[in-house]
Amino acid sequence: MKTETKSLVPSFVVFQVGTRRVALSRESVAELIASPLLFSFPHTTPLITGVVLRRGQIVPVLDLGPGLLGAPSPPARFFLVVERHISNIPQRCAIPVQGECELVAGIMQPTAGQDEFVSGCLDLNKEQIDVLDLEKAIAAGARNEEEAITAAEALS
Amino acid sequence: MTQPVSSSLMPRDTRRREQVAVFSIAEFSFVISAASIQEIRSTDSLGGTVVDLDRPVMKKVRHIVERDGRAYYVVSGYEHFHMSQSRPTTVLILRSAPVAVLVDRIDEMAEMRVLLALPQSFHGEERTWYRGLTVLERKVLPVANPLGFLTAGELQQLEEQNPGLLQTAAAPWLQRGRG
Repeated sequence: MKTETKSLVPSFVVFQVGTRRVALSRESVAELIASPLLFSFPHTTPLITGVVLRRGQIVPVLDLGPGLLGAPSPPARFFLVVERHISNIPQRCAIPVQGECELVAGIMQPTAGQDEFVSGCLDLNKEQIDVLDLEKAIAAGARNEEEAITAAEALS
Repeated sequence: MTQPVSSSLMPRDTRRREQVAVFSIAEFSFVISAASIQEIRSTDSLGGTVVDLDRPVMKKVRHIVERDGRAYYVVSGYEHFHMSQSRPTTVLILRSAPVAVLVDRIDEMAEMRVLLALPQSFHGEERTWYRGLTVLERKVLPVANPLGFLTAGELQQLEEQNPGLLQTAAAPWLQRGRG
């Protein structure tokens, strides 16, 4: 992970899901892990592709691809471990990411984009990076995946 | 019975251990408490009477099987877990419910040392299907809930649509036993 540190300026982790570069607030990111063993089993929760065992804890793996790209993201070697709060209970999840992750400092600007799960954007060397609202991105992905399943069932 | 305490592993040997059977359906492995199983049979050697449901109200249950004076709804494991077709060769006859589960095979008997809560991110049917997750030989496996194959609501629905069939299926055997 590359680092750029500036004091008193908020920091963000920039990462790539499929072809899309996005960012999350540094506070919501716990760690980046490489090539964990993914265990999968039947379930009906959208976006979850399996679980990994991390320091004795079961960490679900959540694919943000259906929300961000409209399709599952490609296989990943790295997983970004983030912290969610589900019913006020902290819960770690792992997000498969492609390419490098960067820790950057910057001021989030309002976004002109249409995506409801984007809470703002960062200007990173003239590149506009969307900053995600993680829970909204997960909700959008879950909706897309459920719609895709419904459509597939209707066609079968 | 192993108690769920948290989603993290605890120091070894502080909790009760539980004998489990590891079974497979298609490419997935599952664990179920050995205490919840009355009998494990090959589908070929099950014998007894198989009765078709008058009204199969759910895809996963189409038959009743009679075994030793009791009747059981036969639950297709792959339909239950919404999986693609598999090749069931084994039946798990459960002790705590009138349920016989079709699975592909029994892989092994093992000792479960830890039962981890299913993470809160899981919010679908798996919360009914599983008691939690366990780690056996460095693999994370779901621990099947024996009462999750047919919930109380599903049992009621089956009984309402096929009234008395479960009792009727077992009756001939009971009559033979009395005679």
